[in-house]
Amino acid sequence: MTVDSRDELKNPQEVIDELARGSLQTEQMLLNVGPQHPATHGVFRLLATIDGEVLVDAEPVIGYMHRGYEKLVEARDYRQITNLVSRMDWLSNIQNELPMWMAVEALMELEVPPRAQYMRVVMVEANRILNHLMFFASFGAELGAITPTFYAFREREDIQAAMETATGGRMHFGYMRAGGLKEDVPRGFLQAMLAAVRQVIDRMDQYYNLLVGNEIFKARTIGVGVLEPEVAYNYGVSGPIARGSNINFDVRKDEPYLVYDQFDFDVPMGTSGDCFDRFWVLLHEVYESARIIEQAIEGMPSGPILGKVPRVIQPPEGEVYIRTENSLGELGYYLISDGDKRPYRMKIRTPSYSNVSALPYVLKGTFVSDMIAILGSFFFVLGDIDR
Amino acid sequence: MPVLEKLSHDDALSRVQGLLDGLLADAHLNYGHVDITCVPENLVEVTRRLRDGDGVRCRFFTFMSAVDWTTFGEGEGGTDEETKRPPLEVLLHLYSPEYVIHVTVHVPLTAEPFICPSIAGVFLGALWAERETHEMFGIEFEGHPALVNLYLPEDFEGNPLRKSFKLATRVVKSWPGAKDPEEAAGGGR
Amino acid sequence: MEITLTDWQLLLVKLAVILAVVPALTLVAGYAEHKVMAHLQHRLGPMYPGGFHGWAILLADGLKFIYKEDIIPAAADKRVFKLAPIAIFIPAVMVYLVIPLDRTLIVEDLDVGVFYLLAISSVSTIGVLMAGWSSANKYALIGALRAGAQLIAYELPIVLSAAVIVMLAGTMSLVGIVEAQPWPFILWPPGIGLVAFLVFMGSGIAELTRPPFDMPVAESEIITGAFTEYSGMRFIFGFFFAEVANMVAFAAIGATLFLGGFNPIVPWSPLDAIPGFVWFVLKASFLLFLFLWVRPTFPRLREDQLQKFAWKVLIPVSLFLVLAAGAWVLYAPEALQP
Repeated sequence: MTVDSRDELKNPQEVIDELARGSLQTEQMLLNVGPQHPATHGVFRLLATIDGEVLVDAEPVIGYMHRGYEKLVEARDYRQITNLVSRMDWLSNIQNELPMWMAVEALMELEVPPRAQYMRVVMVEANRILNHLMFFASFGAELGAITPTFYAFREREDIQAAMETATGGRMHFGYMRAGGLKEDVPRGFLQAMLAAVRQVIDRMDQYYNLLVGNEIFKARTIGVGVLEPEVAYNYGVSGPIARGSNINFDVRKDEPYLVYDQFDFDVPMGTSGDCFDRFWVLLHEVYESARIIEQAIEGMPSGPILGKVPRVIQPPEGEVYIRTENSLGELGYYLISDGDKRPYRMKIRTPSYSNVSALPYVLKGTFVSDMIAILGSFFFVLGDIDR
Repeated sequence: MPVLEKLSHDDALSRVQGLLDGLLADAHLNYGHVDITCVPENLVEVTRRLRDGDGVRCRFFTFMSAVDWTTFGEGEGGTDEETKRPPLEVLLHLYSPEYVIHVTVHVPLTAEPFICPSIAGVFLGALWAERETHEMFGIEFEGHPALVNLYLPEDFEGNPLRKSFKLATRVVKSWPGAKDPEEAAGGGR
Repeated sequence: MEITLTDWQLLLVKLAVILAVVPALTLVAGYAEHKVMAHLQHRLGPMYPGGFHGWAILLADGLKFIYKEDIIPAAADKRVFKLAPIAIFIPAVMVYLVIPLDRTLIVEDLDVGVFYLLAISSVSTIGVLMAGWSSANKYALIGALRAGAQLIAYELPIVLSAAVIVMLAGTMSLVGIVEAQPWPFILWPPGIGLVAFLVFMGSGIAELTRPPFDMPVAESEIITGAFTEYSGMRFIFGFFFAEVANMVAFAAIGATLFLGGFNPIVPWSPLDAIPGFVWFVLKASFLLFLFLWVRPTFPRLREDQLQKFAWKVLIPVSLFLVLAAGAWVLYAPEALQP
């Protein structure tokens, strides 16, 4: 029973009658989570209708960071686009550049030399580790465990330093080109990367116990925010979030690109599709990426880093859809070229967009605190959603 | 579900054609993906059969968007062929996780007003995709529960991704660096 | 030299002592929190203010907050808004009245010491509710309601576990309780003392709304909860200062009730040469360190899990403890002598 000061005081007999009938009329409150909010990664707004502490309805409102990528790329040639798309999912930077160049190479029928393939794999997987460490930090912080943030960022530093020696950037690399990479990596890069990755794996056991072994963490995440596999397919959810729902869904295994079919790695999967499983999948993917990097560095062939590429990148007329396994899911580029230096239409299919569209379904009927855990476990990046 | 059976591309094409007999205007292979064209009236039935059909089961909603073909071929390197392309075309991509089949559905929309039936009842992922396509291209999706703007503010005028919408602030700038590798200062790329 | 003071002069001296000691303790404890948390997180913490390892960080923060603009939301209930920090702060200071540093180093050894402590510290609950309601902010409202529910729920285990000690010692005066404790302090009587200590510490963390029980001020969700709209000195006094002062007070009370207060750790005669307040400070610091250690280690519990823990675990356990303590007092009073 609520007494709103704007309304008149109810007749006491009516109050008693209502209570006797058993209908406790509670008022629903519209709570605006965001766009400025510490728990949402970036300017993301959730219109939540809450009844006490239970979420009756949740509607994400996006577009605060819409930069119009699909229009911008129509006015730029492919090298300019490289740096642009690196800023979509800004935690897995070089992974955004990869499918675009693969699409161009498919249309132009360019061959990528083996050394470039292996080096691309090393960089892409290193970026996956960076991305997953970042979400490891942020998920803990949202639940109140403030310490993993510092440990995770310490590990990220070493990998970023190695990438900086090769590409010149710590976050946005702009390193891929048609037919390979911009230039060969400096001496010591592979050793530095290997050492950094091995250190991450050494320390992951500690971090694993810090969060996953924690009773409170388990109580907050097990059984919370269950996503059924069929619903995941229907919305287009992919990546660690889908694999947490026991879906064996990995582009690197289903349709191997680059040289992934030559590496031995597993695809971690959860069992019940709750927050805990999604997080568990995230952590284990770090181990798998480290395995891939080790195998790639050991088997790194020598040779040119850039294939035979014409001077001007001008794909002939055609359309192609190339997809890769981004850290957060399936990233795809539908490239329509009309023979120009610039793409005619490039539809960018980003993973976080589809993942977040499933949020209203998962959030119905959960607590406000669970909402935070679920938002954190959905691992989205605003640049990916809003493009 | 893990991959049940990895079909060859021709097998995939023939299965899809067999499933959607009579509903398609065109079906061919394009870089290993099954490329089909259908008229808007058949779209819901096509997607439903693709999603539920035995041996195909394209249950994964990859993306849905549109293409504005009106200035195709006007850039350099364009061909002189006169291929009849519709002004707007809805582009839908589905994927079958069990059989590794990619299906691209083209839905040509021939004239104003551009209306296309909504497939939100078949794929929930279309709820957002159709909202975005509506605001970017101006296509009406019949049957969509709430066709409001997704990215753009409510009072935005125009449809940004149409070719007729010129971004006033964007002058097409060519690559500012060296055009030839030899021209570059370091001789590099 | 004999100094005789009138009652009024004695009162003023005692007030001056409290007003001097409490802020000093708060500063030390706050600095300890910065440094302990920092080192647990593989970083250094404050290093620059004051020169040597940033000892003056809280002084610098205090100065900064004094200069901040005093913002009161337009829709807020102004009188209640201004009163709320005071309602939280004053009980936090008044608790220090009865904490015994040594046999005679106590401001006022009330006969009803424990009762006074528990009663006064529960007044701050109202302050939190006032702060949340008057802020005209939905997040503040959620935080205040959560805090109210939590504080009320965890009052019971604290009162009951303190009651256990009162029963075993036979007096409510804090000095009397310390002197009545046999050695080893919390391990006697077997089973009761230790469990009561754990219950007290656990509910203490919840009463202080510190992690892992800091739902009401869950920063990543409702951004400081009831105190979201406060800024400047109001924020410092109502939120930060009161919490740290309360934390130190709880550590001190825990040391007094369960760890033997100003008694030496082992009853070994050479240790008697060390004055009592050194032992007291050591024990209280140890408990304070436990509070600080827990904060960066655990994520926070959800509100309903918190409530379940209080009502379904802590309260039954503490009720059982009271029963057991009563049995000891009735049937084996000699075993309880120091």
